[in-house]
Amino acid sequence: MRSQTTGWLLLAPTLVILLVFGLGPFIYVLVVGFTNWNSFAADPTAHFAGVQNFRRLVFDDPFLHSLWLTFGFTFFAVLSEIVLGYFLAQLLMRDLPFKGFFRTIHTLPLMVAPIAVGATWRLLTVPGLGPLPYYLDRWLGIDLRIGTFADQAFIATVIMDVWHWTPLVTLTLLAAISSLPKEPFEQAQIDGANRAQVFWYVTLPLLKPAILATVFIRVMDALRTVDEVWMLTGGGPAAATRYVGLHIWRVVFPKTDYGYGAAMSLLTLYVTIVLCWLMYVALVARRELPRSE
Amino acid sequence: MKLRTTVSAVALAIGLMSSAMPAWADFWSDAAKDLKGTTIRGVTESTPPSNYVKDVLAPAFTKATGIKVEFETTSWDQMFDKEIKDMEAKTGLYDVVYIEQDIIYSYLARGFLVDLTKSMADNAKLKAPEFDPANFTTFIDYFKDPTKGNDLFAVPMESFIKTYLYRKDLFGDAEVQKAFKAKYGYDLAPPKDHKQYTDIAEFFTQWGKSHDMQLWGSTVQAHTGHPASWYEFVESVEPTFGVYNWGINAQKNYAASVKNGGSMNGPQAVAALTWFLNNLKYAPPESTQSTWDEIAATFAAGRAAQGLVYGENAAWIATNDSKSKVVGKVGVALPPLEPGVLEDAESGKGYIGYFDGGAFAIPTSSKNKEAALLFLEFIGQPSVQADWAVAGSRITLKSTYDDPKVKAQDEKTDHYYTLMKEKGKLFAGAPTYPFHAQVREAVAPIFYRAITGELTPQQALDKMADAAEAELTQLGYRK
Amino acid sequence: MMGRSPLKPGRGWLSLAFWIVASLITLFPIYWMFVVSAKSRVELFGAPNFIIRSFFVENYTATLSNPTFQRYMLNSIIVATSNALLVTTLALLATYALSRYRLVGKENIFFWTITNRMAPPAVFLLPLFLLFTQTFTIGSFSLYDTRIGLVLLYCVFNLPFAIWTLRGIIDAIPRELDEQAMVDGCNTWQVLTGVIFPLAKPGLAVTAILTWVFAWNEYLFAATLTSVNARTITTGLAEFVTVTGTNWGQMAATATLTLVPALVFLGLVQQHIVAGLTFGAVKE
Repeated sequence: MRSQTTGWLLLAPTLVILLVFGLGPFIYVLVVGFTNWNSFAADPTAHFAGVQNFRRLVFDDPFLHSLWLTFGFTFFAVLSEIVLGYFLAQLLMRDLPFKGFFRTIHTLPLMVAPIAVGATWRLLTVPGLGPLPYYLDRWLGIDLRIGTFADQAFIATVIMDVWHWTPLVTLTLLAAISSLPKEPFEQAQIDGANRAQVFWYVTLPLLKPAILATVFIRVMDALRTVDEVWMLTGGGPAAATRYVGLHIWRVVFPKTDYGYGAAMSLLTLYVTIVLCWLMYVALVARRELPRSE
Repeated sequence: MKLRTTVSAVALAIGLMSSAMPAWADFWSDAAKDLKGTTIRGVTESTPPSNYVKDVLAPAFTKATGIKVEFETTSWDQMFDKEIKDMEAKTGLYDVVYIEQDIIYSYLARGFLVDLTKSMADNAKLKAPEFDPANFTTFIDYFKDPTKGNDLFAVPMESFIKTYLYRKDLFGDAEVQKAFKAKYGYDLAPPKDHKQYTDIAEFFTQWGKSHDMQLWGSTVQAHTGHPASWYEFVESVEPTFGVYNWGINAQKNYAASVKNGGSMNGPQAVAALTWFLNNLKYAPPESTQSTWDEIAATFAAGRAAQGLVYGENAAWIATNDSKSKVVGKVGVALPPLEPGVLEDAESGKGYIGYFDGGAFAIPTSSKNKEAALLFLEFIGQPSVQADWAVAGSRITLKSTYDDPKVKAQDEKTDHYYTLMKEKGKLFAGAPTYPFHAQVREAVAPIFYRAITGELTPQQALDKMADAAEAELTQLGYRK
Repeated sequence: MMGRSPLKPGRGWLSLAFWIVASLITLFPIYWMFVVSAKSRVELFGAPNFIIRSFFVENYTATLSNPTFQRYMLNSIIVATSNALLVTTLALLATYALSRYRLVGKENIFFWTITNRMAPPAVFLLPLFLLFTQTFTIGSFSLYDTRIGLVLLYCVFNLPFAIWTLRGIIDAIPRELDEQAMVDGCNTWQVLTGVIFPLAKPGLAVTAILTWVFAWNEYLFAATLTSVNARTITTGLAEFVTVTGTNWGQMAATATLTLVPALVFLGLVQQHIVAGLTFGAVKE
């Protein structure tokens, strides 16, 4: 029998680090969220304000708009990344000349820091300098100005995100696919299943934990995107790409509105946790929970 | 020749100060006798003037005093964030902080900064003979606190005016002049008022189209996700229409809306915004992604015939041929004005544009205030100014204008420095509000919606006035 | 399985063509970054040109000759590598515990770990700043502006990632294998190194790569919690790449230079994925 103590010991270093650097600051933010605190208010000290911040939030249109926008961004970006990433991972499993070379090229975007990704895409899209507006106008007659047109800016941030993060999906799925057992596939072949059936009834169920973990990571990273979008559009035009991470960033940093910013963060965190928990329970835990109790 | 000027300036300074002071060469090592080996740490934005401080002045200071200097250079946003955190938490990480003119009132209100006048008076041993606030241009006045007997709280290290730039070559072209006269009925010259500015912008945009040139009539700093656009409006456009201090009336309980006694959504403000937005029609397509730096780049690329450009960029646009296509073709003039505004500015009632710049100060949380004080005095000496001025196109001392290196630069920039020297007093820094960033962040997002056309000028300004008042109430300034 | 069917000759060319096109699309922004880094500002004006005629070396020499750049680079390499090693090791232990032991509330712990990655980072900088400058101080030493501080902090968002990616992989390793090893007299450590580690290698390699990448690219925490000594290369980048920055050439040059260590690291670790892949993909 395995001893529980050993289990806890194995888990201990992780828990200690997460408690100190994760939970500690969280508790601080939790307290600040219930205060009225702005460094440059007439009274710059923090005061307990009850749930006043949260009451304000519910009617804060810019914040709610930003949250809604972020969900849209996350949905389109992550969905494209998963589909594309899965497709590419499967292709990389096949025999292919120079496979290592292509895989390396395909991993390159990950290696560019988000802040440089945003800057690079800005250099691509700025009229008068970037090739994208120039050639889109010449070849297709499209007037690309992401500083003016909200839809273009939104699409540009999604494409940038897909370019940057699809490799992550490809790599994690590649690792998962390559460690799949081969018996179920042989069995399916013997049973005469066609490709679609193999995909639906064998590949997908086996890959589900890996796909889900990847979706989770991507969803939560997309929900808190700051650097890239800040560099590309600054959240503009107007609020068209002012995603919630960026919105909070502007409230906490330049505006030094710590109390309200903390409340926004808590609400965003809460919504994210609920969203992920629902996904988790619906897809994975139902099967796993009985085994663990 | 330069050496002589420096020496004479120093001699003059010594003469003006006190003859009882120790000799010049010994002061720094004497004053720092007990401070040798300490390290002071500063934070500043990564710009040419700051990098000159970090790379040239700091090592020179270390050599003279034995005090080590470490400078953290970072981006504009990060710099403010970090120094505010440090001062708010009283951590004492920084001994020298960079302060842009517009945030000084927020810091003063919080008591974040050391009173330099008092420190020097209390500690005569640390008072450098070469350092005298009277040597500085009027820009230093922005760093004095009127509530504390006009004591000095920071030492200016750079200052610029945001001025009107135009393409001298195009304006001077005979064919262009003829066509312009034929169309508008008056001679082409730097515009006196906004109507003329718009005429010129329209004219050159047409000219660019009909001559297949990448040329538009005006730069517009109209980024739709960065406060630079709002800054251009409140600092450089509104004053020329007679709207000052963002349209907030400090006397009337910080009112912003007309109904409460402010002018943020008054008729002049609406006229100003309408004019500003109208210029977008004659601006290159990148304008809605342009902050202060991008409009400088646009102008340097030869894509605009005129525009309002920060002075820190004027020098390189006019002189650096690896960065600019319009070297030698740049003209400088005062911005276009509505009638009466110039009189307002001359009588001190108003101003015609933005006097921008920054300074170094010592946080009260600093653990090495004495060493930091010496450093601030060191960079305020007349003798170190000229090379610094050339490296960063910045001027903070009156004597620097007369330096031969600066004069040579002045010739190449269509007398930008002379303009700043003579007309600088018509420009003004940001209003004395301790809530600068807070109100900016509250109203700028609404302003962006005016640029995208989602709101009309009147609607946007109404909403901005309401948002400003709501924010000021929330902050407790508006009762 | 479907991905491993032998290739027909025609399809080989088709997939090769596909990969070439896909690679060009992937490389396009990076190539443009390189083009910008190789030109002076004046050369960039006008119609976009992808051909580099004369290489404008000043962009690179300005960065390379800057002594702080080398220190930033070294800091980044040390921080990212230490973090990747630490995180992968701790995550392997933690995941193994979560997968194989009956621990009270372990599914909740598993889910809680991931919530550490969900928080919008901006507001957490304030408590972290206080934690680094005031809580963890012994004499004149504080976590602020140290590499160890960053290594530990990056665990907060990297450990959850690693645990979640490894969970599926460890779960998929048949329990019978390690139980057999235990029966044969191996202790927990020997099971981990002798049985689990080799089987989980492709997953561990991918986890290590990605945690390394996350640590290498992180900007906001590093910018706030370091000052002079422990600054990383992304914060150095930000000195050129501010929102208002038009120092495009130097920015692009620095960004291009930061790709080099990343590529070296990628090359080193990818071999292990390849090893893992051949292990997993038993040829029919």
